[in-house]
Amino acid sequence: MSAPVIVVEGLRKAYGDVVAVAGLDFTVDAGVVLGLLGPNGAGKTTTIEILTTLRRADAGRATIAGFDVATEPERVRRVIGLAGQAAAVDDRLTARENLDLFARLYKLPASVRRARVDELIERFDLGGFADRLVATYSGGQRRRLDVVAALIARPPAIFLDEPTTGLDPRSRLGLWEEIRRMAADGAAVVLTTQYLEEADRLADHIVIIDRGEVVARGTAEDLKKDLGRDVLVIHVTDADDLPRAAELAGDGVDVGTDVGHRMLTVQLAGGPPQGLDILKRLADAGIPVDDFQLRRPTLDDVFLTHTEARR
Amino acid sequence: MTAAELPSGAKGALLDVWTMARRDLIRTMRQPEYLSFSVVMGVFFLVLFELVFGGVIAAGAGIDYDQYLVPGVLVITAITGALQTGNTLAVDLEHGADKRFRSLPMSRMAVLAGRTVADTIRNAVAVGLVAAVGYLFGFRFVSVGAAVAALVLTVGLGYAFSWVNAAIAAKVRSAELVGMLSMFWLFPLMFGSNLFTPTVAMPAWVKAFADNQPISVVATAVRALSNGADPGLSIAGSVGWIAALLAVFIPLSVRLYRRG
Repeated sequence: MSAPVIVVEGLRKAYGDVVAVAGLDFTVDAGVVLGLLGPNGAGKTTTIEILTTLRRADAGRATIAGFDVATEPERVRRVIGLAGQAAAVDDRLTARENLDLFARLYKLPASVRRARVDELIERFDLGGFADRLVATYSGGQRRRLDVVAALIARPPAIFLDEPTTGLDPRSRLGLWEEIRRMAADGAAVVLTTQYLEEADRLADHIVIIDRGEVVARGTAEDLKKDLGRDVLVIHVTDADDLPRAAELAGDGVDVGTDVGHRMLTVQLAGGPPQGLDILKRLADAGIPVDDFQLRRPTLDDVFLTHTEARR
Repeated sequence: MTAAELPSGAKGALLDVWTMARRDLIRTMRQPEYLSFSVVMGVFFLVLFELVFGGVIAAGAGIDYDQYLVPGVLVITAITGALQTGNTLAVDLEHGADKRFRSLPMSRMAVLAGRTVADTIRNAVAVGLVAAVGYLFGFRFVSVGAAVAALVLTVGLGYAFSWVNAAIAAKVRSAELVGMLSMFWLFPLMFGSNLFTPTVAMPAWVKAFADNQPISVVATAVRALSNGADPGLSIAGSVGWIAALLAVFIPLSVRLYRRG
């Protein structure tokens, strides 16, 4: 294994009394998408800004491809690509001209500039609108161009700050596809998002931060598994049976009842066997059941558990 | 996967300035109103003063008013053209377009310098067009050399004022505010000047300001060049003003820009 492309150690940043990032650590290998997840104000954007040399950390250290973001910002800028929430593409230029602009600023030699721009347009399917002014684009087309522009110099590290915020579901799917391709090409990608589904679908590793601190980390599967409890949802035929059913679920078990929906939800610390046991007890007691369902914890459950416990 | 080897230092910075200027020029060509704004302003002042106030001023001052007015109008054209540096830069800063640029391996001042260079090229075209309109009104330069020298001074002043506007934009970062603030310095400089009328009849303290402020000094130099008259200290004064404005406002703009 080669060294990680992005290394973050003990990163801290405060704005006056407000601590934005409070000792962040993570690494990202080539070909890996790291999802940086957190509620608004968790410190996601500040982290990205420090790693892309737009801000200086108060303490800690971060390197990109071996270059220190604080002491070698100019070298770092050569090995990163950044796409942010504010689309920085120029309205009065075409996609092709915008990409050419970035290629020139990365100082790609004239001989490869044209070919690289054509390649990106082809590969990311921008051909349909590449020669129209950006002013005429849909929000999704614009955002795609913004993200693709970050790839112009094949940077080994790519930072995407909430790239899909405000996009319709279809455009979001298209952009996900592109982000996956970047990683497949070997880039280390850091993606911030508020969408749990996005992190679930895209990120190989997830770091959940809240108030600048890491509150959980791992793969989406790990995080869900660590949370552990599958949820058993039972709809009884008669709402009057609910109290009895809740009692039968057992002592010390986390049970919720919803009379309106004749619904019982049970957090299964003991997994599926415990669920079977409960269903059997209901059957033995002669309580009629319309249906039941075993639900895996979602990333929402993980996120809410970790960020709400702190409120 | 390796990053492209970059030309470093001054060469890289110059490349960046040209890349940014090129981008701004393409944008300008797509929106010709940028060019026409300053041309229209120039022609507006030319026609207004020539036809409305010109008769009285010429009679009162006993001067050839075409030859007097057009140099002032050329300077006005350059100054109003320079206003757009502030507007467009403020729009970029307002919408965070520059944030992306700051994460790129490029010279930080190229965003500002490219803008001022592009505006200056556009300004040269605008001043040339207004001079052509002045020609129709009977304005003449004594020689081609004089015309070129006059154009250089006029556009040079516009370049210096581009940096003044860049500094304001870098400070306030709002196109609306930049537009409002520019009126505070533009009107005193424009009317407290010798652009439209000789200063002889002004109160002494106004005259002292009007004779020596940068816009008047450049207009005086352009007038002398167009008439083939003795420029006195006006050419040296113009160059001095332009150099002084650049010496103050380039570093100031860059500092204000970096702070954001």
